[in-house]
Amino acid sequence: MVASTVEVFNTLWTLFSSLGILVGVVVISYLGYQVYRNRARPERPEPEDAPKPGEAPREQARAGKLLISVILSASIVITLISMTFISLGILDNPPQEAFEVKVVAFQWGWRFYYPNGYEAVGELRVPKGVPVKFYVTSSDVFHNMGIIELRLKIDAIPGKVNVGWTRVDALGEYIIRCYELCGDGHGVMTGRLIVMEPEEFNEWYSSLQVS
Amino acid sequence: MEAHMLPPASSIKRWLLTTNHKDIGILYLVTAIYFLVVGGALSLLFRLQLADPSLNVLPPQAYNQAITIHGLVMVLFVVSPLAFALANYVVPLQIGARDLAFPRLNALSYWLYLFAGILVVVSFFQERTLDVGWTLYQPLAAGFTPYVGVNTGGLGLGLLTASVTVSTINFVVTIFRSRAPGVRLTALPMFTMTILLTVLMMLYAFPALLAGIIMLASDRVLGTVYFTSNQGGAILWDHIFWFFGHPEVYIVLFPALGVMADILVTFSRRPLFGRRYILAAMVIVATLSFLVWGHHMFLTGIHPDIRRAFTVTTIAISLPFDAIILSFIYTLSKSKIHLRTPMLFTLGSIAIFIIGGITGVFLGSIALDYVLRGTYFVVAHFHYTMAGGALVGLIAGVYYWYPKMTGRMFSEALGRIHFVLAMIGFNLLYFPMFLAWEMPRRVPVYAEYLAPLNQLATVGGFIFGGSFLVMFWNLLYSLRHGEPAGDNPWNAPTLEWLTRSPPPPHNFDGTPALVDGRFTFLAANGAGHHSHETHLSPWPFMLSLASMVVLLGLTTHIAISLGGLVLLAASILGFARERFVSHEPQLGERWPFERVDRMKLAWWTFLASEIVLFGVLLSAYIYVRSATPSWPAPGTLFDIWHGAVNTFILLTSSFTLVLAIAASRMGSRAGTLGFLGATMALGVAFLLNKYGEWTELFSHGVNFSTSIVSTSFFLTTGVHGAHVTAGLLALAYLISRALKGAYVREGHETLEYFGYYWHFVDIVWVFIFPLFYLI
Repeated sequence: MVASTVEVFNTLWTLFSSLGILVGVVVISYLGYQVYRNRARPERPEPEDAPKPGEAPREQARAGKLLISVILSASIVITLISMTFISLGILDNPPQEAFEVKVVAFQWGWRFYYPNGYEAVGELRVPKGVPVKFYVTSSDVFHNMGIIELRLKIDAIPGKVNVGWTRVDALGEYIIRCYELCGDGHGVMTGRLIVMEPEEFNEWYSSLQVS
Repeated sequence: MEAHMLPPASSIKRWLLTTNHKDIGILYLVTAIYFLVVGGALSLLFRLQLADPSLNVLPPQAYNQAITIHGLVMVLFVVSPLAFALANYVVPLQIGARDLAFPRLNALSYWLYLFAGILVVVSFFQERTLDVGWTLYQPLAAGFTPYVGVNTGGLGLGLLTASVTVSTINFVVTIFRSRAPGVRLTALPMFTMTILLTVLMMLYAFPALLAGIIMLASDRVLGTVYFTSNQGGAILWDHIFWFFGHPEVYIVLFPALGVMADILVTFSRRPLFGRRYILAAMVIVATLSFLVWGHHMFLTGIHPDIRRAFTVTTIAISLPFDAIILSFIYTLSKSKIHLRTPMLFTLGSIAIFIIGGITGVFLGSIALDYVLRGTYFVVAHFHYTMAGGALVGLIAGVYYWYPKMTGRMFSEALGRIHFVLAMIGFNLLYFPMFLAWEMPRRVPVYAEYLAPLNQLATVGGFIFGGSFLVMFWNLLYSLRHGEPAGDNPWNAPTLEWLTRSPPPPHNFDGTPALVDGRFTFLAANGAGHHSHETHLSPWPFMLSLASMVVLLGLTTHIAISLGGLVLLAASILGFARERFVSHEPQLGERWPFERVDRMKLAWWTFLASEIVLFGVLLSAYIYVRSATPSWPAPGTLFDIWHGAVNTFILLTSSFTLVLAIAASRMGSRAGTLGFLGATMALGVAFLLNKYGEWTELFSHGVNFSTSIVSTSFFLTTGVHGAHVTAGLLALAYLISRALKGAYVREGHETLEYFGYYWHFVDIVWVFIFPLFYLI
């Protein structure tokens, strides 16, 4: 897996999409089947309880059928909620030991502050295989820092610091995009996350000139 | 021409002055379709921009305006008004009424809606209109888009909330008080039932939007700092907007569900499956809808336990929907389905809504929402529900009731062509968006690899949009050339099909009554009785026009506003003084409001919406206060004496008003006038004292923009002061009438209705005083 957040997301996504597609296909097919089977053909008799003009509304009430369907749905829903809560246990609890970066979003770009005080705009370097914690805020309007390949998103809100974390296990460059409409430059508000081998990263990090 | 006769449909006068619910329904329908074309054209513009990853058809500024106005127009000016077009036409027919409870107010809702829409359209031509997304996120909308058009557009939304409130009151009173004999609440057709639930949700949701817009406008124009300061800011707006916004989703959807339920019964020839369970499910949804707004804020850093609670409510709300949709499908078993155009659209809408509902569960899961938030997955999901479920469902309704409205059948062949094109176009447009879930929303340029999906969507968009041209042609052509429809072309069970197509102005010959589960018509005793009713009034139009002029002047030249104010005052006076006759039906089902007359019920409903307005303002105050560690101690910034004196004055004024009403009942003209005068004097004293307090604060350098403390103080007490001022203007009118001898013995109800308002405004102060001055 590319990153810890990707693992969590993939588990849930697979579960939700397979159940979702299953339920969708079953229900829509059942709808189609009912329509096909009961389509009006000349030989088909009018149902006995057909509503007549000027009649008060009546109902077909066979609660059993509906109850069973709703219980079935409820069990699916409870499964989904429980799985969500299990995943949250991971997403909302970053490890104690992590490389911590402060991110300040602005119209229209990203500024990064490293623990040693080094500051960079538009490009963030982190070591591979190490948990990275992001403390995200904004200096002007509501933004959202999203690194979609890592399945990671954190709201950047002025006056608030939101925390998110991931551990990237694959070297490479990932694009940071803004996922909340923030003005004219919203579409081009990008940055880069560069994931380096830890030794290489340490070499680079210790060579930084911090004023 | 007598005001109780309607001019012919070919005259312009008829359409400007009419107060008949069927005419207003047609006006709503035509206007909603006009805005559908506006919103649709905008969407085709940005679909063109998105046809390639790096085009420049719409530069970012234009792109942002297009998506924002597209969203606002479609949600607020197309789908809901389309539902109310049908509701206007059909609800009185379904409950056996001659008209809505307040025909003039109905016309007023329509004209306010139209002129609100015109303000939004005009704002395009004022440099730049709203360009911040339909959700108006903060602080972008408050502090980072300094264009005049944004103000105009915002004021247009404010005017729309006025239209919605008026129409909410009207439908609540109508459905509760104007039902024909025997039409108990449980016997209402599904469409009327969903309209009732919809207006009840509107009653609580729209005042929250109004409060938000007032705060936003005040930030932009007066310089208050609700959304530009960190104590309020983005999160405060999120709470207010989504408290409105999520119920709004169901407000848009419910009428379509009602349409679909009625159509299913008619064309499947079977009673609705589990009608009572559907209704129970809808009541649960309507209630829960006010408890799920937090799911729009999972990532904003609200407390984890609150997030979990919102996940549970959000995913749980899918269960009642399950029950509704499955009941719809179960209705079809052992049925005989006639696949006519309305039924086709209904079935299509159900299938689409199933997909929309399932994907909604994805977004309710916080952990998935962390990733899907702000992407095209969300765009796809809400179009599957709001465009597919709601709009397509309502289109089914337009086809369904078209023969009733016009007396003509549309072309079934063209209807089917529209259906097929719409389904292909819709799914080609929106399904690829689920697959493009990595793409951020609201961006004019995007990554190369997403090009094929976007191109499919663009093609789908043009097919979906084009399919409506088939509909427009069909409906226009059939208006003259369609086959005569007859009273009940669909062999449908509900009451509207028992009268002529189109129905006569008084709807039914004779009084319909539901006896032993079947409608009969009681002899039209006093057929001359309702011919004395009034059906024309110029004032709804004038009043709405004047309101628009006032608001437009605010963003152009203040002189225009002043002119508008004069016109507005004249229109309100004209409205109040006009002899407009409309009777409540003498017989009918009115549970549970048998003993509450229609005016009283209307005032109560209005005050319920006012409670939400002030509730939001006071909640905002509590929110910003808890977010501000250094709130000044009581007595240090706002003078307790000023507040205490004003509390005393207002409470006394409530007392004098009670005495005025008592005097009016006893027939004492002097007493009535004297106590009304005293109430007026106390109200003026309240405002003078407030003026003194404000000028003192200003002279100490405390103004709107000083801090979140002064912001919340000035705006909350200012909105309250505006209510006092409005009350005084009404009081001045009442006194002028009393001087001519009104309200003595007869007509004291009018004073009582005013009393509800005045006491309410006092009660609000009873909350404001301790909150702002004492603690």
